[in-house]
Amino acid sequence: MLPAGHLLSVLIFFPAVGALALLLLRGDDHKFIRIIALIVSLAEFLFSLLMIRSVPIGTAGYHLEEYLKWINQPPINYHLGVDGISLFLVILTTFLTPISILASWKSIERRVKEFFVMLLMLEVGVVGVFLSLDLFLFFLFWEVMLIPMALLIGIWGHDRRVYAAVKFVLYTMAGSILMLVGIIWLYNATGTFDLPAIQVLLHTPASQGGLELAPRTEMLLFLAFFVAFAIKVPLFPLHTWLPDAHVEAPTAGSVMLAGVLLKMGTYGMIRFCLPLFPEASRRAARWVAVLAIIGIIYGALVAMVQPNLKKLVAYSSVSHLGFVVLGIFAFHNISIQGAVYQMLAHGISTGALFLLVGMLYDRRHTFEISEYGGLATPMPKLAAFFLFVALSSLGLPMLNGFVGEYLVLLGTYERHWGWATWAALGVILSACYLLWSYQRVFFGEITREKNRTLPDASAREKWILATMAVVTLWMGIGSTFITKRTAAAAQDVIDQVEPQRPYEAAAPNVITPGVITPSRIPQQVKRDSANTAAKVASTERLGLR
Amino acid sequence: MLEYLWIVPLLPLLGSAVNGFFGAKWPNKIVNIVAIGSTGLSFLGAIEAVHEFFDYFAQKQQPFHREFFTWIAAGNFRAGFDLQMDQLTVVMVLVVTGVGWLIHIYATGYMAHEGGYYRFFSYLNLFMFFMLILVLAANYVLLFVGWEGVGLCSYLLVGFYFLRKSAADAGKKAFIVNRIGDFGFMLGTFLLFKTFGTLDFVQLFAKADPWPADAMGHLGTLTIACLLLFMGACGKSAQLPLYVWLPDAMEGPTPVSALIHAATMVTAGVYVVARSHILFAHAPTAMLVVAIVGCATAFFAATIGLVQTDIKKVLAYSTVSQLGYMFLACGVGAFSAGIFHLMTHAFFKALLFLAAGSVIHAMGGEQDMNRMGGLSKKIRWTYVTMLTATLAIAGFPPFAGFFSKDSILLSAFQSEYGGRNVGYALYGFGLATALLTAFYMFRLIFLTFHGKPRYDEHHVHVHESPNNMLVPLMILALLSVVGGWFAAPAFLPGGTDYFAKFLQPVFRNVEVVGAEAEVHSLEIWLAAVAVAVALAGALFAYWLYLKRPEKADGVAKSLKPAYTTLLNKYYVDELYAAAVVRPLLWISTNVLWKTVDVAGIDGAVNGIAEGAKAIGDGVRHAQSGNTRSYAVWVVVGALVVIAVIFFWPSGGKPVLGMVH
Amino acid sequence: MFPRAIDAYRVLPELVWCGFGVLVMLMQPFVRSRHFFTFLALIGTLAGTAASVTAAMHAGPGFGGLVQSDSFSFFFRLLVGTVAFLVVLAAGPYLERERLPFAEFFALLLFATAGMGVLASAQELLTAFIGLEMSSISSYILAGYRRDSLKSSESAMKYFLLGSFATAFFLYGIALVYGSSGTTMLTKMGSEELLHRTLFELGLAMILIGLGFKVAAAPFQVWTPDVYEGAPTPVTALFSAGPKAAAFALLLRIFATVPAATHFWFWAFWALAALTMFAGNLGALVQTNVKRLLAYSSIAHAGYILVAFAAVTSMARGEGGSANAGPAYAAVLFYLLSYALVKLGAFTIVSQLGGKGEKNLSLDDYAGLSQRQPWVAAALSVYLLSLLGLPVTAGFFGKFYIFKAAVNSHLLWLAVLMAVNSIIGSYYYLRVIVVMYMRESSAEAAAAAPVGFPITVGFVLAFTVAGTLYFGLFPNQVLNFILQPTLLGR
Repeated sequence: MLPAGHLLSVLIFFPAVGALALLLLRGDDHKFIRIIALIVSLAEFLFSLLMIRSVPIGTAGYHLEEYLKWINQPPINYHLGVDGISLFLVILTTFLTPISILASWKSIERRVKEFFVMLLMLEVGVVGVFLSLDLFLFFLFWEVMLIPMALLIGIWGHDRRVYAAVKFVLYTMAGSILMLVGIIWLYNATGTFDLPAIQVLLHTPASQGGLELAPRTEMLLFLAFFVAFAIKVPLFPLHTWLPDAHVEAPTAGSVMLAGVLLKMGTYGMIRFCLPLFPEASRRAARWVAVLAIIGIIYGALVAMVQPNLKKLVAYSSVSHLGFVVLGIFAFHNISIQGAVYQMLAHGISTGALFLLVGMLYDRRHTFEISEYGGLATPMPKLAAFFLFVALSSLGLPMLNGFVGEYLVLLGTYERHWGWATWAALGVILSACYLLWSYQRVFFGEITREKNRTLPDASAREKWILATMAVVTLWMGIGSTFITKRTAAAAQDVIDQVEPQRPYEAAAPNVITPGVITPSRIPQQVKRDSANTAAKVASTERLGLR
Repeated sequence: MLEYLWIVPLLPLLGSAVNGFFGAKWPNKIVNIVAIGSTGLSFLGAIEAVHEFFDYFAQKQQPFHREFFTWIAAGNFRAGFDLQMDQLTVVMVLVVTGVGWLIHIYATGYMAHEGGYYRFFSYLNLFMFFMLILVLAANYVLLFVGWEGVGLCSYLLVGFYFLRKSAADAGKKAFIVNRIGDFGFMLGTFLLFKTFGTLDFVQLFAKADPWPADAMGHLGTLTIACLLLFMGACGKSAQLPLYVWLPDAMEGPTPVSALIHAATMVTAGVYVVARSHILFAHAPTAMLVVAIVGCATAFFAATIGLVQTDIKKVLAYSTVSQLGYMFLACGVGAFSAGIFHLMTHAFFKALLFLAAGSVIHAMGGEQDMNRMGGLSKKIRWTYVTMLTATLAIAGFPPFAGFFSKDSILLSAFQSEYGGRNVGYALYGFGLATALLTAFYMFRLIFLTFHGKPRYDEHHVHVHESPNNMLVPLMILALLSVVGGWFAAPAFLPGGTDYFAKFLQPVFRNVEVVGAEAEVHSLEIWLAAVAVAVALAGALFAYWLYLKRPEKADGVAKSLKPAYTTLLNKYYVDELYAAAVVRPLLWISTNVLWKTVDVAGIDGAVNGIAEGAKAIGDGVRHAQSGNTRSYAVWVVVGALVVIAVIFFWPSGGKPVLGMVH
Repeated sequence: MFPRAIDAYRVLPELVWCGFGVLVMLMQPFVRSRHFFTFLALIGTLAGTAASVTAAMHAGPGFGGLVQSDSFSFFFRLLVGTVAFLVVLAAGPYLERERLPFAEFFALLLFATAGMGVLASAQELLTAFIGLEMSSISSYILAGYRRDSLKSSESAMKYFLLGSFATAFFLYGIALVYGSSGTTMLTKMGSEELLHRTLFELGLAMILIGLGFKVAAAPFQVWTPDVYEGAPTPVTALFSAGPKAAAFALLLRIFATVPAATHFWFWAFWALAALTMFAGNLGALVQTNVKRLLAYSSIAHAGYILVAFAAVTSMARGEGGSANAGPAYAAVLFYLLSYALVKLGAFTIVSQLGGKGEKNLSLDDYAGLSQRQPWVAAALSVYLLSLLGLPVTAGFFGKFYIFKAAVNSHLLWLAVLMAVNSIIGSYYYLRVIVVMYMRESSAEAAAAAPVGFPITVGFVLAFTVAGTLYFGLFPNQVLNFILQPTLLGR
């Protein structure tokens, strides 16, 4: 049905086409516009599923690569590719888009057409970010994604929306401009913007025509990238844009923001910081981990005392993303896979939380917890869903949150038991803030009269929430479907950041060395063959040596 | 059936799902069929599975272990949905499904007139599912699933009457306190994985067995791991200092208290310790800690139990106390004794709760013993069964509690960990606890069933409970009598403790069974002492609450400080609130949020923005619009430029190094 | 030596522009119809621009090297020609609205264009001076074209005074250079020992100052906001695009041909760049008048371009001389192109929305524009995003190449300063977008009929937007053109 060779391009530009189509429609027929947008996003979702076949299990490296010369001076190319890690992030994006379109079915009444156009453009930017293998292209999508998000917040947001929107843009800009300088600098050093090519260059010793960055240079480059990503994640103490952005954004905006945009930061760390600047990453790891752990605990504590429900969820994201960053910078196969999984899980469960908060808002037009209380009586179904999602978010086994959290902590513990111990405190705290807020919102007698008559979940809402619930459950039980596809990619990242892993030899399980080997060795062998093949290919194209 | 072991836990899950999704519209009768049917079937399935397991074991001489599907896999880590069955599991499975089923039946009567009937049974079945996962799990991760799951169900069921703030609070408290324990449990599993590279029981223990045991007082890997696991156990089984949630949990409906907070869930901690006995055997320090914590909890809780007036609160503290006994047993290496007590306790404590429920039911919701009395004639069956249970828990032969408690005390007496004296001390406290237990239990009986009625007989129309409540009581009463007889032969010369013998394949590498002569005589002596003590307690209660009721208040007055302290449970809750909860909230609000976040970080950012604007204003005011001043600007600028061109080092070299 | 026909070819565009200027003047007394003059001016600008092709075909030095007709001058003639053409298109409705005479305006416009052309192709300092004066003097008059408006006359006055002040510097610089080197031919200033002549150095400094004024580099930028604000908006559009480009062209030419310049000027440019960026952005930060805001932003952008110049100098100082400064030249040229398009479009919109007497210039007048006139708002947003340097706009590549040039030549701190500035910049550009999209329009604005956009203006907007986006996606052709080694003829 599709030109298989161009699946990724289709994925990136199909929503753009849809947006264009919407733009040409008459603005007043809201229903029609909504339906078109929904259809487009659903089709996009189906397309994205087609990628799964093409990402073989157990081999790292990029697949479905597309390569086109774009600008020859400097050599900027249209280079796309997908691997085990980006695969599911893209699917997450394409999954959450229709969800958020459905979520804003009724709540968006003003400038409907523009709203959905923005949503689709946002999807274009995000998918592009995840699929680009050319630093320049990556940066391009990274920036493009800004505008629709800012407008989503700024036009359809709540009272202080303008402040929030501007803050969001300025924060991100501040990071991305630095990243731009870094990218250019890297280009000057390597003579190409092509990610695989740069990887090859940086990982071959200078003696064999490779490139070795001076420690200072490498660290500066690392920081240029890392800061940009850290702002996006957001990593403490760069997180203060997030609560404002979330509180002011419309539901769909929050869902996309928490569900996908934050992941761009962590994705960037995995995709760029670690493989390109291993030495610097290793040197920085300790400090990053400290920040991540602070974020985990700090975010949870601050979330616990928020009087504003949406802010609470926002701060909880700070805490959850802390786990992801920690997992990444623990440089352990398990922890990185955990991090990836946590990204996806957080996308689903926090997305669902924002959906539910939004549904409450649609009914009462407030986020203040004190305005609610005893809602379980008038709306049992919504209450049930909320509890379910809260449980998944606090990492109850058999729901998606647990897998990522447990793997991150386990892997981290393997390397630095201290980090894991501190981070594990987050497990206690998450239970505290989620259950406490849940109790204040849903349990007890009804305190506000107008809450007594609130309607329970509508059919549309039930469908949305049921979908989310099913995915949550599936991710909690069938996690291997995802992990066996991310395994090789994660291993690849590790092999690049720590070619020789001292800790594995040093690990106490020397008494039974048989434990480590069987699962890893064959996989690694596969990786090498496949990966170098992919890399060599892309280097030859660039005529590098 | 053994091949399809997964059916056993799955049935209740189905029941839960069906009731949860469709029960709302159905009449209670259908909900009952689904709930009781599913649990009953899983009980039968369990029996069949156990039966097959015995054949299996007879041939293979090893625990049954089956991997159904891989749940989590990353790197060299694998956590499968794997179930295993050995003698320990057999005991647990049968207790859980059997007692669970009885309690389901009872609940159909007890909850008959409550709202959210289907919700209740959906939760209850869900609990059964998770509990079965917990006991059938073949690795720590899957066990953790059940572990957290039962915690969740406890949260849901304790907070069943969510309109009551106290209930919601209790549920939340239960979950969070458990989470604190789970924190330790998780870390424990991490450490085990880091050390042995697997969390599967069979492999793990196989690897751990050859390890050298840590020296006493030395914190080796295994010791730390065991202590971390025990931290989890403390949370789940309400041991010091994490016991605080259990008394509050009595907010839940009484069947819940019976099933979750007496018979099954709270014993999970004991089960985990017993399950990890090989690790503990390598960590004498950990063993000692377990024993001491258990013993201390037993005594501590018993003292609080002395003065409670809420009938369920008394039972709650007695549960905490009895759990302490079980840990004491494990701590001194008598794992089989611990499990034995776990089983008998499941019988008589479930019975006590259910009977108490029947009393409350009869009294129309009244729980305060001060407003009861003289019920023995009105609700005879309830009285008889409850008395049986009381005799059992107080440890009178030939009731179940006697045998289990006796074997615990014996092993405590013989304990080698930390030297003989420690053993004696443990035994001493254990004995004291027995005394207290007998006292408060008979206090309960006398206050409730004897003496003059202290309630308004015109308003409260005491009535016996329906049969679907009484039948489970009777069955449990029977079990509380005969449940201990496995161990009975041990008292005959040369007899053996069949229960211990049964579990022997599991605990073979850690404890020796088969008492020789002097141990045998010692056992007899200790038993005699224990019975005497129990009798003393009972008699004192009789004297204080039946013979001389007026004395009771006198005693209370004369020991006012002690009395109030006990009445307020040593102010532990207040202490936690003041030392942990409130400071944490205060800091989070005023320091972290308002100061660091808003004032600090955001303040800095906005400050920079303001600064830039201020400079901008400066620039704007430099634009006076006055041409002469502009001219001056130009001249100055010109001079500057010329200066720069002339006096700046003109060979400006690269500012920053690039590639080398 | 006597001028030959070929020389005429090589300055054909200037000749055409001047010719049409004169023609317009002559017709003025006889023809009433405004549209006639508009038409004539359009023809003239177009013809001149077309003529630059002829000039390019006859590449080579003209009039014994006074002027140089090469790809470089071709590029700039094309640029200023197009600018002039678009300004004519945009100016028509404006003059109509403000009841201003057409003929003189267009005549002056054509002369100014011719001057810029000369400036861009001059290879000899006095010729350059003539070009400079041609453009300047006509600019002075144009700035004060709204005689009835006090602001306008004031701005003209300021511009004239300060302008002539700067011109003096320039002229004096030429004198010094001549005195020390004995020639005014740039091509003859290649000798090594000039590097050690203080007078020569001083002369170059003076020239730099003179041109610094033209390109509005801090601290010579002081006149810009007032003049830009006061002048009729189409004229402002011309100022921000045309003369600046021409002056930069001359600077570049001096660099390319006079090694001494690259030697002396590096730190001066470093300082100028930094100063200018901050002066522009910080000033713009607090503006509430859109026209003035854009004026400040154009200062800031001059600063960015100067960064590229600093890069040129530092590259050229490296081994290989100005030959390997190619990327930096490219950066400048491309930036000027993208910038001209954007500023032209932005000012055109401002002049339309300004309404009679240019009253509605404050940000509040733009509130809710996206509701009232979505397409205009969208166009303006494109310009602003391009100024802000966001991808898929020409401005992004412009900024990108400058960054690249700076990093290439190890001017990392300058690059970082530029980064900081573009963040500051992004704030006030966003503010306009925010106002247009996120604020509701005031009652009377909503009540008033939407401002009309005549077809000509519409064309200007369409053209500039299309250009901005096109060069933002496919900068290849332009780059290939300006990166050719023979960009500057010898």
